[in-house]
Amino acid sequence: MDGLDTILYGGIPRANTVLLTGSCGTGKTSMALEFLIHGALKGENSLFVSVTENSDKLLSNIMPYRFFDKNLVKSGKLVFVDLPVMYERLGMTKPEMSMEEVDLLVAAIAGLARELGTKRLVVDSITSVCYKLKTSEKIRDFILKLSKALSDMDCTSILVSEVSAQSSSYSMFGVEEAISDGIVLMANMERRGDLLRTLQVIKMRGTMHSRAKYVLDLTPMGVLLVPMLKGGSVGT
Amino acid sequence: MNDARIAQNIADQLSELPSSSAVSLQMSVDNYLEVLRGTIDLFANRKGMDTIYVTSTISFDAIKRVLLALDIDTSRIYFVDCISHAMMGATSAQYDDHTAIVESPTMLENLMLKVEFLLRKSQAANKLVIIDSINSLAIHNNNWILSEFLHILVSGLRAREAYTIILSVEEHSTPELTNMVNLVCDQGVRAGKKEA
Repeated sequence: MDGLDTILYGGIPRANTVLLTGSCGTGKTSMALEFLIHGALKGENSLFVSVTENSDKLLSNIMPYRFFDKNLVKSGKLVFVDLPVMYERLGMTKPEMSMEEVDLLVAAIAGLARELGTKRLVVDSITSVCYKLKTSEKIRDFILKLSKALSDMDCTSILVSEVSAQSSSYSMFGVEEAISDGIVLMANMERRGDLLRTLQVIKMRGTMHSRAKYVLDLTPMGVLLVPMLKGGSVGT
Repeated sequence: MNDARIAQNIADQLSELPSSSAVSLQMSVDNYLEVLRGTIDLFANRKGMDTIYVTSTISFDAIKRVLLALDIDTSRIYFVDCISHAMMGATSAQYDDHTAIVESPTMLENLMLKVEFLLRKSQAANKLVIIDSINSLAIHNNNWILSEFLHILVSGLRAREAYTIILSVEEHSTPELTNMVNLVCDQGVRAGKKEA
């Protein structure tokens, strides 16, 4: 991912857990998918855990990336899993999970990642999982345990987080942002009636990085980024 | 100087420059057609370059029609059209594989992103980017942001060893605008002779 790798002076450090956060329509899912596709193309097994959208629908709506090869899915290099199916198999039918169920879910995701030899993983979205966890303690527990399990496998993960457009926080429950290794904020910025998609790296453990705001475009060549022109900044 | 000489003179001056050069091409409104012939037909097409033509003046299909009328091959020309959408006329352009639409000439970052996209798409060894024109971009943007935009765009194109030509119309130029363009360009070319 040329642009993001440049901003991060080389890319997301291996085994980091990164919160990719933003309001709707900012390009989070496209960005996360591109991260996995590039990984799969490099030979790293990649896993997309879909929480909100059926993975078949997700695949049919995938940006027509020029570098996307359907064989990545056929060969198992790029795997899509629907979390609601996993909930059902684990018998997690109640609207709120217990502490035991949190452990069970972490074990199920980590177990699947281990079985597949996953080196890159995306959960889209962590916010939807958090709605079933309800309390800050359970959310903290879930993310910490999942991050630890993935990190021990040398797996780099992206947790997609949804926030409202007006939010000044980086996550819905305020816990997710505190325990992630990195935060990448995607936003819609209105400037004189134009709506620009922007990206900013707020934190990233283990690497130097730019903290400037960039404007992005979702293209068949992938996510492209350019620095936001300061002359047009509205100070947000 | 007759029209054919003007076009040839532009192409000759451009041919002497190394790739990654940025050129300020000042023209009179009357010389627009010679500029198109000189830059695209006699320079870029003859050298086997892909041209990325950024228009904020008139729509890409209007320029295409002019080029076809001049019998200029358009197969290697890609357009970044910053004006059609603002005129509510971008519908057909969105399906054109050689055209990228920017919603408004005020979206200068998106303009850069579309240029970047088309540069990546192009397989040609040599590329030319034409900005038509700094005057029309100045209608929609203040000098501060425009200056910053030119600096980032031209520096990026230089790094990719692409030629950049920034068109300006002398009848509509101000000293500030001319200075801004000269600051980022290595060379100035005039289309036709300035009247005394």
